[in-house]
Parts: sequence; C-alpha cells; structure tokens
Amino acid sequence: MKTYDVIVIGAGNGGLAAAANCVNAGLSTLLLERHNLPGGSASSFVRGRFEFEPSLHELAGIGTPEEPGMVEKMFDRMGAKVDWRKDSSTFRLVVPAKEGDKDAFVNENGVNVTVDARMPVGFEAFSQKLDELVPGSYESAMKAFGLSTRMYKAFDALGDGDSLAGVVKALKYMPDFMRMTSHTLNEGLTALGMPKKAQDIFSTYWCYMGSPGSRFDFMYYMAMLHGYIKNGTGIPHLRSHEMSLAIDKVIRDGGGEIWYNSEVTKIIMKDGKPAGVVVNGEKEVGGRRFICNVAPNFVWNDLFDKADIPPAQLRMTNARKIAATLTTVYLGMNKTKEELGIKDYSVFIAPTADSDEQFALCKDFFSGYCIINCLNEIIPDCTPPGTCQLFLTAMTFGDVMQGIEPKDYKKFKTKVAKDMIETCEKALNMSIQPYIEEIEIALPPTFSRYLNTPLGTPYGYILDKWDSMIPRTLQFKQDQPFDNFIFCGATQERGDGYGCAYHSGEKAAKLTIEAFKEEN
Amino acid sequence: MASPIKSLDPKRFLPMLGDRQARFNAAPEKLPAGSDRARVLAKALHPKRQYLKITAVTERSSDCRSYTLEPDPDRGTSALAYFSAGKYVSVFETVGGMPVNRAYSISSAPAASLAGKYELTVRRVDDGLMSRHIFDTWEVGRRVEVSAPAGTFEYQPLRDAPFVVGLAGGSGITPFLSMANAIADGDEDFTLCLLYGSRDKENILFKDELDALAARTDKIRVVHVLSDEPAETLPAGMRKGFLTAELIKEFAPQDAPYSVFVCGSQQMYRFVDPEIEKLGLPKKYVRHELFGEFHDPKSLYDYPKDVPETVKITVTVMDVTKTVEGKSTDSVMQILEKNGIGVPARCRSGECGFCHSRLLSGKVYVPAHLEYRRLADEQFGCIHPCCSFPLTDLEINVPPVK
Repeated sequence: MKTYDVIVIGAGNGGLAAAANCVNAGLSTLLLERHNLPGGSASSFVRGRFEFEPSLHELAGIGTPEEPGMVEKMFDRMGAKVDWRKDSSTFRLVVPAKEGDKDAFVNENGVNVTVDARMPVGFEAFSQKLDELVPGSYESAMKAFGLSTRMYKAFDALGDGDSLAGVVKALKYMPDFMRMTSHTLNEGLTALGMPKKAQDIFSTYWCYMGSPGSRFDFMYYMAMLHGYIKNGTGIPHLRSHEMSLAIDKVIRDGGGEIWYNSEVTKIIMKDGKPAGVVVNGEKEVGGRRFICNVAPNFVWNDLFDKADIPPAQLRMTNARKIAATLTTVYLGMNKTKEELGIKDYSVFIAPTADSDEQFALCKDFFSGYCIINCLNEIIPDCTPPGTCQLFLTAMTFGDVMQGIEPKDYKKFKTKVAKDMIETCEKALNMSIQPYIEEIEIALPPTFSRYLNTPLGTPYGYILDKWDSMIPRTLQFKQDQPFDNFIFCGATQERGDGYGCAYHSGEKAAKLTIEAFKEEN
Repeated sequence: MASPIKSLDPKRFLPMLGDRQARFNAAPEKLPAGSDRARVLAKALHPKRQYLKITAVTERSSDCRSYTLEPDPDRGTSALAYFSAGKYVSVFETVGGMPVNRAYSISSAPAASLAGKYELTVRRVDDGLMSRHIFDTWEVGRRVEVSAPAGTFEYQPLRDAPFVVGLAGGSGITPFLSMANAIADGDEDFTLCLLYGSRDKENILFKDELDALAARTDKIRVVHVLSDEPAETLPAGMRKGFLTAELIKEFAPQDAPYSVFVCGSQQMYRFVDPEIEKLGLPKKYVRHELFGEFHDPKSLYDYPKDVPETVKITVTVMDVTKTVEGKSTDSVMQILEKNGIGVPARCRSGECGFCHSRLLSGKVYVPAHLEYRRLADEQFGCIHPCCSFPLTDLEINVPPVK
C-alpha cells in the first residue's frame, strides 16, 4: 500500500487550498475527489451558448493593488494565478410595499416600495447614503465601521486557538473585542444608536452567512461587511471554475496528485487513529496525516465504524444545527441586461427588511425573499453579444424537501423557479420569462448531489450566538477528532463562503505542516 | 477614547467557551442523521449505477429491437431512477475485452419507471460496435448495467413554447415516444406535433403505439414523412419526402410561438439543421438531442494537414501509467478504449463533460461543433477525450471509471 504524507479528502475550496499548501511545503500529497471536477461549489456548467457561474456571488477578499484582499493574498501565497475582475458596487435592497404601508413610495422602476437602498462602496459614501435613506444614521454607521478597522489583525492574533493568550493579544488591537464578540449584530447596532430601519439595511448581508441579526455575532458580521464595503469586491473572469483549476494546477505542478472520480468510501484505522483510506470501495491508500473536506455528519456515517469515532465528536456533531440550504435558478437570456432594464449586479428582494423576519420566512419554499444577480454587470463578455445571464438565489432552513417524491420533483422545481422569477419581475417591474433561452434549476437535492452535505447545505453549521466564529477559533484544536486528522471547509471555524473555506484549508495545512516539523 | 459600545458588557464574553462546551456535552452520543430528504432524492434520481435485467425483447423492424429492463435487486438495484421524458441512459458493456458505453434514449414513459420498467430501443448499425454487440448478446435474463438518466433534451415549460414540433428521424423517435407518453399520462403539459421521417412504411417504428397515443389526447399529433415510399403505395395521411422548413411551417401555429425539437442521426442533422435555420426562430425555440459520436475529423475543413497516422498516448489513471498506440482519426477516448482502458463517459458528444481530463503535453483537435468545454478548461489544458482527436503524441491524466 502506497503511503502519502497527507491525504486530503474532498477537493472543495477547503481541500484544494489544503492540498496546495501541503504540496508547496514539500509534503507528498494525494487529493481525492468523488466528483470529476475540482471546487465543489466553485465550478461552472455549460448549457447551449452559456457558461453559468453556479454559486459565487462576490468575493469580499479581492482588494486593490495597494491593499490586496484576503482571498487574493491566499491565492498569491499558493502561487495560483487568477484573472480577477473588480466590482465597485455593493448591494441594492428592494422591499416591495404591502397594501396599507404608510411609508410606501414609487421607486425608479415604478414599483411601490418601502425600501430601495442602492449602497455604494466606501465607509464614508455608504454611511452618507444610509443617512439619506434614514436620517440620523450616519454617525452610528461610521462608528460601526470604525470598530471594524483593526478586526483582521485581531483575528490573526487569535492564532491557532486553544489559548486565551490570543484573546489578550486581540484586545490590544481591539479594545472592544470582547464586547463585540459576545453580542449580536442587533445588540451592537442598537448600542451604537442606529435607527431600526437603518439597521435593517445595514444587516442585508446576513444571508451570506445564514445567521440573522439576533443570532449573528456583531464582531463577525462587521468583519464581513468591512470586507465588502471598504474596497468593493471581485470575481474571477472565467467563473469560479477558473479559481479551482488554478489551484489544481499548483498542486500538479508541485508534484501533488489529484484523483478525480475517486471517492473515499472508508477510513482505515490503526492503533485508534486513521492510517489510510479505501477509494471507490476497492483501492487502499495509506496516509500519515489527513485533511478532510467532507461534512462530519456524513464522515461519521459513511466512512467510520461507530466504535472508532471519538464520542465527543458525536455529541458535538449532534449539538450543531445544519445551516441554510439554497435554491438557485440559472437563466441564459436572449436579451442584454440593458434591454431587460437591469442596472445592478446584486438586488436583494425581500417582503420585509428585518433580517430575523427574513430568516423566519425561509422555513418554506418560496418565501418571496430572493437575490437576483446579473454577471454581465461585472463581466460584460461573460455571455455572447445580445445576451446576458441571470442567477436567482433563495434560501431555506431545515429538511424542506419532505413530502416531495421523485415523480413530483420536476414540477415542484419548475413551480419554485416560476415563483422566484415572477417575484423578481414584479419587484423590478421587468419582463424575464419570454426571453429565457437556457434554464437550470438547482434545489437542495442538486446541492446534495454535487456537494454531499447534510440537507445539501453549502453553509456548514449555523453560526449561532453560542457557536459563533470566535469560540470556534479558540476551540479549534480540541474540536478536531484525531491528532492526525483535521477538518476543513464550511463546517469549520469561519463558516461558509469561498474565502472562509480557503482559509480553513490553509489553516489545516499549516497545522499539518507544523506537526510534521515537530515530528522531525 | 471611550468605546462607542460601552453599554455592552464585555464580561459576557467570559462564559462563552464554557457554554459552547456545555452544549456539546449535553448532546446525545448517537450517530448523527446519515440521510435527509435532499440526499434521498439525490440518490434516487441520480444513482451511480443501475443494475438491470432484460425481461422482454420486442422486434420493432428488421433491424430494430426494444429491450425491457427491470431492476436487478441481487446486484443492489431495487427501484429505477425516475426521469423526465427525453433523457438517455448510458449502457456499459465489454466488447472483446474493450470497455464501451453508448447513450440510448429511454423510449418508455416516465410513469413506467415507477412500475420498474425502462425500455431501450436499439437500431442495428452495420459498423456500430455497440448495436451489433447488443443484437448478438442481449436476450431475456441477460444482466445489464446502465447510468442514471442524463441529458438535457426535455421539455421545460419556463423556456419552451407550449407547442412543440418534434422532428424525428428513424430511431430518433425514442425520446419523443417517451414525451408523448408523458403528455398522455398528464406528467408533461404541452402540445406535440411529431413529424416523423422514415425510409418507407415498413421502417416506421412504433406506428401502432403512436396512433394509440394520438387517439388518447388531442395534444399529440403524428405525421409520417416517408422518403423512399413510392407514391402509389403511400398510405393515406402520410407524406412523401423529407423534413423541410415548408413542412414545419405547415404544421406549426401561424400566430403563436412554437419550439422545434430534433432527434435523429448525424446524416439527418446535416439535412434538417439548415431547414430549421430557414425558419429564423430564436435559438431558445430550437432544441437538439446529442450529436452522437463523431468519427471523421478529416472531413472537417479546419482539420490540420500532416497529422501522423498513428500516435502514442501516455495515460495515467490514478497511480497507474501506461503508453498505448492508436490511429489519429480516432478520438482519444476510442484509442484508450481500444487498448482496454475505460474512460468515464456519458454523452460521447462533447456535451456532458463527464470525461473531463487533463492534457499534460501534446496537441489535440476539437471539432468546433463539439466544443462544449468550460472557458477555463482550455486555458488550463483540460479536454473532453470523447471529442478530442490527437495531432501529436499525448500525455494525459484520466479519471477512473467508478
């Protein structure tokens, strides 16, 4: 049985980053992926004359040449080259008015709304715009951004967890570290005196992490918002498949191996620790250390005998709640975005502006809460002349497919897609349906098939008040099941999002590399 | 400077780690749920493999047979994957030591799959390796291995017009037969006017079945178009000739949008595609079934000159590397298969991307009409072996067939 220094299970964003960093450190590395492509969520697919982006909305971690963002820096460290395209918008939030809404007005699209907030990049510009929309909110917004300026330094100071010494260091950079970390987004913004309506607009990005204002910690939300607002965002030129292939190349060029269509079906144990894997039910491969980019829920069920699983891992997995699941509709349009009347990259359409009310709506298909993106706003040539591509996203929580039989599935998903499309048509007073040339609809079973996660979530576990990013970071080492087996991906400390997943892989690699050094 | 959030108590931080640990400690020590409805549906609709048994063989014409396939629980398949009418399955066989697979449209109704039956209909082609093999070896009781239903040739109400003109040539009737059944069963809701081209009346497949379906609902109409039938023996109601733009216009609605769906042989596409072009329909209203495996790169105008007749391919599958030789007019996939090396494949037409592989060195030719790779693929040296023809010796990395 051939034995590698490191076996990485799963070539999602976390697994790719982990393998690339291990290869770069000179470790013999085998990356195993059940699918025939790298990236998990970070991929693309072709229908007719369109190539669709399956999941990426925007990367907060793409900065400026003077101030490169977190994702750019991680790609630079790996040596992976990607043609980044910058987006200088943030989001637009549109809340269509209900009958009898007193504060309703007619917006630029001729739609009766209670909120229409198109927010600019830059702390100052963002805060001014917020003040225009909700007088009296400028100061609180600027204070909130002020709190977040040294946040990344504080995160770095937390080190690799396990120790409160990190907290002491973090406090040096951020005197309010403990206050922010232990309070929710709503509590933080209220303490700053931000008017409720401004808080709602300010909280619009909650859905990117899947935790609403009453459960999301103030610290992490501000860190995320900071990334989006400070320098704008970015996206790869050739869909996120470009990012995945760029890392794939680093791994191969560095002498690492990637086996696609190669599913780990069993972990081989020796002396109470993982010592190898079985691939596709037949081929055994040995490993000294393991990095696992598969959700723990399925790892314990599918790859281990129960007797080999540390009991604390079972309790931990059972204590956590599976995060958001998504429904996405991909549309290849035979009209340009100008012809359709699209002016924004991201529009968040919501029946209510309150993040907790939005969260509550997401228990059902389809709640009326969805995001519509037009990639041509950032990459004009991402589709042939005379066309554009749209990407609609809705969110749900829980086992929402209950009661759906295989024979009903096509009708069901077509109905959900139709509801989402009509919601966008109404909220933006535009016509979509007559111009659909290509359509694909992805529901939780689609994500389950490609990502192999519980409920099909791309998001891991809910970043809840009690299981938020900071305690996850501080307890990272004790959260890992064996001293030679580290998890990475959206289930880990920073939760979902490309940047968080890449970070989890880089961190798992770093700990793995250090462990080899200590052994020698 | 005073904190702007000094009203928030920092001491709330202190018990956080303990609280988290306490939550973990209080949770049950059982295995977490290993499945959920999303996973159940994903596995039911997209099984890795379906192990089936042939339970009936029906002669459709002198060179065409239908095979009824049912689950083979002995090998782990207890139910068939449900599918949307128009999908195909890939059939996996070994012919003379050579692993091969071909895509065949499911000709039976989606509803029949719930009762445990798929029907595949195969026309025997003289130089068709797989169809000859199937005719020679498939009989009642024979075990068969197929993929999950796949493909994009299906009706989509949010995209397609409510009126579809189906252009079928010969055994290209199979996905339409499934669609017509789905309409009659109430599983699909659109009007299908089938213009079905056959050589002569003896070669019409499923004539009785199609008549019966048209009698069940006014949403289905079938017009037989015979190319070689003498005028004097042409049955009433049938047309003599080919599937032309004129004929389509005659049967399409005059003042409402309609979609055109096409399925047939490559030879049929060469005739019908320019006819469809004449209609000036928006692209969204023209749907094409798979092109099928392409065999003749030399016939294409941009195929380079001076390509060596034989090439060497050094191929790595997982940790095994071999060097094999083949004809440069064969696709990379065919060369590997002829050398006993299986390649993961579904459509064999460039489209599905299932055979996505790495080209490490050397050059390949990809016919423009089969170029469905992702944009970044070309930049990073990824190819679809099913429609890549070697121009030089190659070094490639191919995933295993699992």
